[in-house]
Amino acid sequence: MSKIINFKINDKDVTASKGETILQAARKHDIYIPTMCYISKTSACASCRICSVEVEGVEGFILSCNTPPTEGIEVKTNSTELEVERTNIMKLYDVNHPLECGVCDKSGECDLQNMTLEFNVSQQEFSARDQLRKTEDWGLINYDPALCIMCEKCVHVCNEVIGDDAIEVKFGGYSSVIIPKNAETLDCTFCGECIAVCPVGALVSSDFKYRANAWELSRVPSTCAHCSAGCALEYETRHAGANGDDSIYRVKNNFEFNSLCGAGRFGFDFENRADKDEHAFTKAVDAIKNTNAIRFSSMITNEEAHILQLLKEKLGVKLFNEDARLYAEFMSTYSSVSGKLHHSASMDAIKQADAIIVIGTRITTDNPMIRYAIRTASQHNGAKVVYAHPLEDVLMKNTATQFMKYEVGTEEGVMALLANELLKNSDVDEQTRTFLNDLDLGYLEAESNVGDDELKLMTKSFQRANKHVLVIGSDIFAHMRAKNIAKLAALIEKYTDFSLLIVPAEINTAGVALTCKLDIDENISNVVAYNAEGDFIMSSLKDADLAMPALNQVEGTVVNVDNQVLPLNVALSFDGYILNDIANALGIKKENTIDYTKELDNAKGFKSIAFDDLENFLIPYGEDKRGYILDEVTCNMDGTIEEIEDLPEFNGTVVYQCNPVLQFNEFTNKTHQLEKDTSLRGSAQFAAAARIADGDVIEISFASKTIQRVFKQDDELKGTIALNPTFDLGQDFSRYRFEKSKIVRVV
Amino acid sequence: MKMEQFNDRNVADNGYFLVDIEDYPTDGWGKFKRVVKRSFRGELFVGLWVVLREMIKFDIHTVQYPEEKLPIGPRYRAVHEMKRLWESDTERCIGCGLCEKICISDCIRMDTKIDENSRKEVSEYTINLGRCIFCGYCAEVCPELAITHGGEYENASQQREHFVDYEYMLTPIDKMKAGTQMEFEGFGAITPHEDERVKKTPLAY
Repeated sequence: MSKIINFKINDKDVTASKGETILQAARKHDIYIPTMCYISKTSACASCRICSVEVEGVEGFILSCNTPPTEGIEVKTNSTELEVERTNIMKLYDVNHPLECGVCDKSGECDLQNMTLEFNVSQQEFSARDQLRKTEDWGLINYDPALCIMCEKCVHVCNEVIGDDAIEVKFGGYSSVIIPKNAETLDCTFCGECIAVCPVGALVSSDFKYRANAWELSRVPSTCAHCSAGCALEYETRHAGANGDDSIYRVKNNFEFNSLCGAGRFGFDFENRADKDEHAFTKAVDAIKNTNAIRFSSMITNEEAHILQLLKEKLGVKLFNEDARLYAEFMSTYSSVSGKLHHSASMDAIKQADAIIVIGTRITTDNPMIRYAIRTASQHNGAKVVYAHPLEDVLMKNTATQFMKYEVGTEEGVMALLANELLKNSDVDEQTRTFLNDLDLGYLEAESNVGDDELKLMTKSFQRANKHVLVIGSDIFAHMRAKNIAKLAALIEKYTDFSLLIVPAEINTAGVALTCKLDIDENISNVVAYNAEGDFIMSSLKDADLAMPALNQVEGTVVNVDNQVLPLNVALSFDGYILNDIANALGIKKENTIDYTKELDNAKGFKSIAFDDLENFLIPYGEDKRGYILDEVTCNMDGTIEEIEDLPEFNGTVVYQCNPVLQFNEFTNKTHQLEKDTSLRGSAQFAAAARIADGDVIEISFASKTIQRVFKQDDELKGTIALNPTFDLGQDFSRYRFEKSKIVRVV
Repeated sequence: MKMEQFNDRNVADNGYFLVDIEDYPTDGWGKFKRVVKRSFRGELFVGLWVVLREMIKFDIHTVQYPEEKLPIGPRYRAVHEMKRLWESDTERCIGCGLCEKICISDCIRMDTKIDENSRKEVSEYTINLGRCIFCGYCAEVCPELAITHGGEYENASQQREHFVDYEYMLTPIDKMKAGTQMEFEGFGAITPHEDERVKKTPLAY
């Protein structure tokens, strides 16, 4: 094979595949090369020069982090000269570095501290005139230039992985600093990834600053509970105050390979504190015994969803969860055409892809991890990204290569057009070919506003690509033609080399959809609610009839967008009653909730693995060992594609149910660090159409309800669609996310 | 290491000798004779004379506790003290948390936060003296010589908590102003001539 390169490191035979660097090959073969600025998920920063190696026959040192090996070279990673070089670099790093390890947040987990000790730098031999460097307060992030070692990891991550591109290096030799890019102060989505990658204490969380030390915190590996990405994270807990209970102090992630958005990093204190209230418990048991239905949200583990399903089977109650029900319906329709239970793509597939279509989701706020994955693909593979949505998104601007704006409600038409374009040269069956031939392209293009030239442009830009991904978001699930859209998506997946990613709305929408047999939500009385609206409310939010634990207080599993079953662990204890206690009282007996983990339905792809046997870590080379991936299940292919219906029109003031950055649901709303902007955001055009102005208090009437908001004019938005946050009042998943509304100014 | 001196159990050869002690009387007459001898030899007055002599000389060695107290060694490890900086009178503790970490009986707890001057401030600090074993690790590990042991050994109080308040441990400001704060000389304290051993940072400019 010509793609494998054989060479030697320290007289040991090693191999590297094409595109790998000497450093990557060395790490894979357990050969240690020290680094300071290297981070696996970005391109090499090449700023520290500590990873220098010697290559026989080549004069001088070679940077192993950005040099690919050639056949037969002999690399030396340790010689006296290299040792001297590296020690000198460390000595230079330590020049005037403030000796404030005693109070520095990074102390104990600081790369500079570790490397200084590793190279035994005990005195300062070089000197430079110190500068006055002022600390910067950038909101959630705090920057201390005096501690900064200019490794540039933060800049690389912000640009290559996150896509905010919000910080840059202000070059000036010894006085170089990190500054916000083209702005006075930091204006970004505050993912905090720069904090995570900072090897020293230069970039720190403002909230965490000086509150605890690395060695005092106990780590609880778990899964983020805010969106369907299900990111790996570690809650770090400690006693609060001299006599206090444990509380979560911060969240960390494996930044070397994974990322985390700001909601996961800063929105961790959504726990619910309660004591055992026997009276409320008895009432809850009685309520469930006599109830007609249980309404619940998808912020629930598979195990608890399984308990609810058992309650349904035993007591004959109905289960309401519109979010999961519509998702399940979409997926089963998809399966009826594709013949598979689960969609084929994953976030990793996006990272590898070079052609991506995103449709039916404002992905930057719906699922930031997919945004990061798309950004990574665009930066590392030069991926062409088509972003199809009625609303332009500023955050996608530097990532998307083509914005395909379609009219609200015309998703079915757009999908048909995409299918027609992508299946043009595919060998499809007769029925599909007839369907495609019968499409009234002129009508679809006119109504959806997606022109022929746009589709041609897309095909042209995808010409050289060989790894395609289609991302479908949660706008579609409650669309009146969701079923046909699912079939169209399945067709594209079936007949092209596109893999398909369907993005559920909540953390465990996919899991609930697989575990429970859900009923259509009717507006009936006597409903017990679990984290939802009802007559008897069990909730981990405030004002509940029975307090329940939040997702950082329970053990269990969730299914994320990658169809991966991920374990959640208990970061904080909960003293009250849990759903399993209620089930026990009702005769469904198991000692612990997690005893149900291995009983989850095999027919849906779950494996019979006990919770305690699930791993939750990444191996040093980045391979994901968290939980397991659902087994692929084959289904009957009995679905047939239907004709496209007339495309609906949405005129006037349309409101899109969409949260601002870093907000997802009532749980993120509970956290103290995340910004809570509940205003309706719209463009100047929207303001003119609705006859309102910036700062007005307005009343928005939808078909189902009326709410009050403050209107905020956002100059980054265009068109007559405004964004209405749902994180404070909860989202009605049974309704299409775009809604016609009546807006009145409240005087 | 040679083990002979330990293995040789023949004590007589190593300078030990038996004291010449008269045999105890075994019969009644012998016992009677001993009582008479002890009663009339006036041994009692030998001791009484010593007491009388010392009383007249007024050379009294008894410490009149609690009016008088013996000085205790500088390394004595009694109830903790929190020191202040000589230069500014502010507290030395920087809240690094090392004492909390090293404490083997897990009796130190502290809480820190960022203060209005962007410095790390200790907002809560307690030592549970009910658990403390006075091992001195906290004083040894402290990088700022802030926590030390004091000489206060009188721990009688209605409640142990009376000793562990941060304010109580901190050198009173009037004592500080009077310059009477004592440095701890136990483990962790700097040794004499430390200044001469400090390596200086090169200042080329």
